[in-house]
Amino acid sequence: MKTTLKLFSLIFILFAFVACSDDDEGPVEFSVTAISPESGTVGTEITITGTDFPSDAAEVNLTFGGVSATITSISSTQIVTTVPAGATSGEVRIAANGFTSTTPTTFTVLSDLVQARASNIPAPTTGGGQGAPDEGPFTKFSFATGAVTDSDTEWDIAFRATTIAINGGVATGTNDEPERNGNGGVALVRDVLFSEVTTANGLTYTQDADGAFAINPVSDQGWYNYNGALFLVSPIPGTVLVFRTHDGKYAKIEILSYYRDAPEEPNAFVDEARLYTFNYIYNPNEGETSLE
Amino acid sequence: MSLNKNNCLIIFSLFLWVALSAQKKREKDSILTENLGEVVVTATRTVRQLSSLPLPVTLIPQKQITNSGVTRLNEILSEQTGIVVTPDITTGGGEGVQIQGIASDYIMVLIDGVPVVGRSSGNLDLSRLAIGNIQQVEVVKGPSSALFGSEALGGVINIITERPKTEKISGQITHRAASFNNQNTTVSVNQRKGKLGYSLFIDRLSTDGFDLADGDEGQTVNPFFNYTFNGRMYYDLSDKLQLFASGRYFLQDFDIPSGTSEERDGNAQLRIDHKLSDKSQFEYEFYYTNYVTNEQTVDPIENEILLDNDFDQQLFRPEVRFNHSFTPNSTLTMGGGYNFESLDRSLFADQVTFDSQYVFAQYDFRPIKKLNIIVGARFDNHSVYNSQLSPKISARYNITEHLAVKGSVGSGFKAPDFRQLFLDFTNAAGGNYSVFGKEVEVQGIERLIANDEIITDSEGNQILPVPLSELGEPLNAESSVGYNLGVGYDKGKFRGDINFFRNDFTDLIDTRILATKRNGANVFGYINRESVYTQGMEVDLRYKILDQLTLSAGYQLLYAFDKDVEEELAENGAFARDPETLETIRISEDDYFGLENRSRHIINAKLFYEIPKWGANANLRVIYRSRFGLTDRNGNSFLDEFDNSFIEGFTLINLSFGKTFFKHYQVQVGANNLLDFTGTNPFSAPENQIAVNPGIQIFGRLNFHF
Repeated sequence: MKTTLKLFSLIFILFAFVACSDDDEGPVEFSVTAISPESGTVGTEITITGTDFPSDAAEVNLTFGGVSATITSISSTQIVTTVPAGATSGEVRIAANGFTSTTPTTFTVLSDLVQARASNIPAPTTGGGQGAPDEGPFTKFSFATGAVTDSDTEWDIAFRATTIAINGGVATGTNDEPERNGNGGVALVRDVLFSEVTTANGLTYTQDADGAFAINPVSDQGWYNYNGALFLVSPIPGTVLVFRTHDGKYAKIEILSYYRDAPEEPNAFVDEARLYTFNYIYNPNEGETSLE
Repeated sequence: MSLNKNNCLIIFSLFLWVALSAQKKREKDSILTENLGEVVVTATRTVRQLSSLPLPVTLIPQKQITNSGVTRLNEILSEQTGIVVTPDITTGGGEGVQIQGIASDYIMVLIDGVPVVGRSSGNLDLSRLAIGNIQQVEVVKGPSSALFGSEALGGVINIITERPKTEKISGQITHRAASFNNQNTTVSVNQRKGKLGYSLFIDRLSTDGFDLADGDEGQTVNPFFNYTFNGRMYYDLSDKLQLFASGRYFLQDFDIPSGTSEERDGNAQLRIDHKLSDKSQFEYEFYYTNYVTNEQTVDPIENEILLDNDFDQQLFRPEVRFNHSFTPNSTLTMGGGYNFESLDRSLFADQVTFDSQYVFAQYDFRPIKKLNIIVGARFDNHSVYNSQLSPKISARYNITEHLAVKGSVGSGFKAPDFRQLFLDFTNAAGGNYSVFGKEVEVQGIERLIANDEIITDSEGNQILPVPLSELGEPLNAESSVGYNLGVGYDKGKFRGDINFFRNDFTDLIDTRILATKRNGANVFGYINRESVYTQGMEVDLRYKILDQLTLSAGYQLLYAFDKDVEEELAENGAFARDPETLETIRISEDDYFGLENRSRHIINAKLFYEIPKWGANANLRVIYRSRFGLTDRNGNSFLDEFDNSFIEGFTLINLSFGKTFFKHYQVQVGANNLLDFTGTNPFSAPENQIAVNPGIQIFGRLNFHF
């Protein structure tokens, strides 16, 4: 009996030891409860929450569509990382201690915002100028390609002299204007810096209508001011045009100049006019309104 | 620039030193006549001693004009404190006068109390007015509509012609030759014999003009010649009845490369002074003036008329005035008149006419010995725009014999002009846009609708930014209230005045878009909109260093802003463009520079010196104008520090010497703009510099008087 008790105690102690060693060293499965945000461009900071994450980032392999991401901080309940270059949309996979888990929702890797300057976009007119009837085709521009386009459908905005048409709404009735077949719109934001317009959300978009361009083509009412003493067209400072493109994406532009090579001090008698230069930021992701 | 300033100082000191060291004997007769002799008529429409007036008045005596060797009104005005003659450098040509920061459109110019008409875009060309036969120029600053009606918001400039004084025929022949082949000949004859007096004056000026931009074709100011004829007659019908008749005719012809540009200006004035008693007098006045311009631009190759712009303005005005002096120190002045105006202009559909009637009254009195109060008001009734009541009160309190406080509050107005009321213009040559005056805008828009020229929506309704029902509301007169408060000190050799002013303008007339045509061209109309103010301070000092040496100096500090712009900036912030990246930047509200063409500081200093022993005189006049801007250039619609459209401050030095030979002959030589300042127009392209001023102008003048 005594031997049995001893043996039992021994087994118990041994078991207890084993149990202890299991707690300290043995693999424990972690769990993932959420990923936030659920979409973002490369470089966006992503927070993954859960339980029982290892304390050492080196023990964790985190991948976005198979591409390994660097962990910037880790605790037992939270991993902070950034979307790695080359990441593709889909599962975010976390591997540690021989266990592997995915986030409960998939992650969408967004295309980078396009930040660029369009220079010397020609906007000729064959009309008489000085308010005479403008004639001739508009120059169409696509934010998706960042270039002038001949396409009758894949265009977003179009220029002719000081008039800017958008691919949304209906024809205004002027000569030679392009057919509207998209769902574009425009919101004119005043008294802001370009960088201060961070989202296309919450703005009211208007479309070209019968008899009226959404962007009023008149001096001081739309994007420019005409100085009658100097015969100069100057974009109004603090004016940002936010566009919904023909296919429902968003872009903002700041027009910088109406003259060739955007001279610092344009001279109406020297510098060639009807050449737009503008800065723009285009968000190529469907339904995304961020503009920064 | 610093070199320029140093030069000024050196020249000025040198002049002073020479004058002082040359001085030995003292005799009476100075350039600026003694204070007591200085009387003006413009401030009250009665003869008043300048030094006792409660209003800011500048008097330019004949002697100052002759000794300065200038021949045109604009030249002498530009040397006075608080008066700026702005060069119209963006377009070349006409110059505008500015008083207390108020533009030429709002300043009335009179010859012997009757108005000069004929303005081009609101600007009256003062170089049109020869000043070879005048006794003095009086400038009343601040609103004076209480006496003079429309246009007298900023002030009144009155040219008082010389009256014949001697029984013997007197007169003079003068020829002045200056740079740019500027040739000015003047002949005048005066006589006063018994009851009859007469005065004849002929002036001829011709010049080759000048060019501010070397590189381009044509000239900034084309060659021109002009003639001024003026005849006046004074006749005493009886002790109580005096007759004055005057006729003036001006003709100017510009030699433009292709086409013609001529200007004619005629006035006829008849006045009868009817003395009822020593205390009461009537004045009956009839005035007619006609201003005509013909402009024709011809295509030199096709010989086709490109532009034909004729302008024919007439004014006929009978006026009656009555003065009654209750005591030597209290005078009642009343008057009334009728203006018949008409304008026939190529850009108008028909000849247009205005009728207006007015009455005014003024009481000038001293309730106590040291206090002088002038109260007055004028009522103008007009056939087209709303009636105007213009009151004014001014007071002067003599603290001591030498020190006085002066203050005045008055209102001014400017009737909408013919253009703002009746213009019916479609620019067929340049873009097909249309402009309608207020009185014709309803018909104009209806005509365009009937012709189906206005854009329509899909239902076929015309798109009208201003609904038809809101068109044709009468325009208000542009109006202002002006405040002046100052202190004057006058003792012995020193006289000093300091005056603070503020002018609030409302209902300034602006253009707006009424509709857009199918061809994209706009239709413009007029509306009362802008409100601006000018405020500041002016200081005028005169010191008789010696009997024959007088130093005078003046300074004006000016703030002139558009209230609407200030409000807009306070509410929404101010934006401009970075000159390099062209991206929008936020700027401070303080970067708003104010109204165009206004200098913060204007300084003048004048030294007049006489050496009676030699029959000689010399003078030096220095004018400084601080930096001013021409127009917005970066699209934010206001002039700011980020606009490259400023003309840096500059100094003009004018100098002249005169000497009399053989009693009847006087020779004068001098230079205007001695430092040869030319400046740079900010709009000039780097390869084609455009100047602001044509540079030094040397002149010689020979005068024979008998």
